[in-house]
Amino acid sequence: MLTMVIDDSRAMRLILKRIVAQLGFEVVEAANGKEAMDYLTSTLESGTEAPGLALVDWNMPEMNGLEFVTAVRAEPRLRSMTLMMVTTESEQSQIVRALAAGAHEYVIKPFTPDAIIDKLALLGLLPNGVAA
Amino acid sequence: MTANPTEDDLRVIAEQVWSSYLDTDGASPLLPFPAQQRRDDVSASVSVTGAWRGHVVVSCSDTASRNAAAALLGIEHEDVTDDDVTDALGELANIIGGNVKSLLPEPCALSLPHVLMEKTAGRYPSVTEVCSLNGTWLDESVTVSVLESTADFAGVSAP
Repeated sequence: MLTMVIDDSRAMRLILKRIVAQLGFEVVEAANGKEAMDYLTSTLESGTEAPGLALVDWNMPEMNGLEFVTAVRAEPRLRSMTLMMVTTESEQSQIVRALAAGAHEYVIKPFTPDAIIDKLALLGLLPNGVAA
Repeated sequence: MTANPTEDDLRVIAEQVWSSYLDTDGASPLLPFPAQQRRDDVSASVSVTGAWRGHVVVSCSDTASRNAAAALLGIEHEDVTDDDVTDALGELANIIGGNVKSLLPEPCALSLPHVLMEKTAGRYPSVTEVCSLNGTWLDESVTVSVLESTADFAGVSAP
């Protein structure tokens, strides 16, 4: 599955990339929500494969994660895209906001690789033969 | 939650961060006692605004900052650049600050991280220290501080 990792920290993108790459996922990176939306728009316009999954940080410059989730959900052609927030925002109210905006799952930093893999399993996104 | 965070809270948060990213094999935890010499060569902070106002600051020696960047980015210590340190320390401040924010009154917002690579003592005006964790990691100084603003909303110190 083509997966987008969206985080303004290069280190965090690398950590997430390693986790999903071990599952056999291909990864594209974006440093904020705007960069990610620009990429998605280009895939829609060119007819190339859009990511099926995005791991989305919340606090980022230019366009934050909540704004990105809202923008994706406003685009009917991206309806099938699974959105997982991976963020340090850990208050219940923030989790509710993200899920209400259209995120499917929510992981709080700091996380272990197993936390990400468990959520992917809940979403039914683990490749065949990979156990959570 | 309305109580101020404590040193114990910081220790729990730091342990989670270290075991997740900086000490994944458990061989080099952050030890909860001060290093022989505290050094604040590099500091990364996030600001909290809203129902509570202040800063969460992670400061450490230059060597510790490079150790952190090397661990987070999976590169050798000698290959670490200043950009790597900025990215890694900023993300650590973001993660620790976000977890501290969850202990503060709501609603609060977290700023993007700010990283300074210079001695930072006295850099935050009009604050009081709520709590701090003076730790040692790989024999180097690492400090996490929660500083509450004493300034009013216009940015002027309250009488």
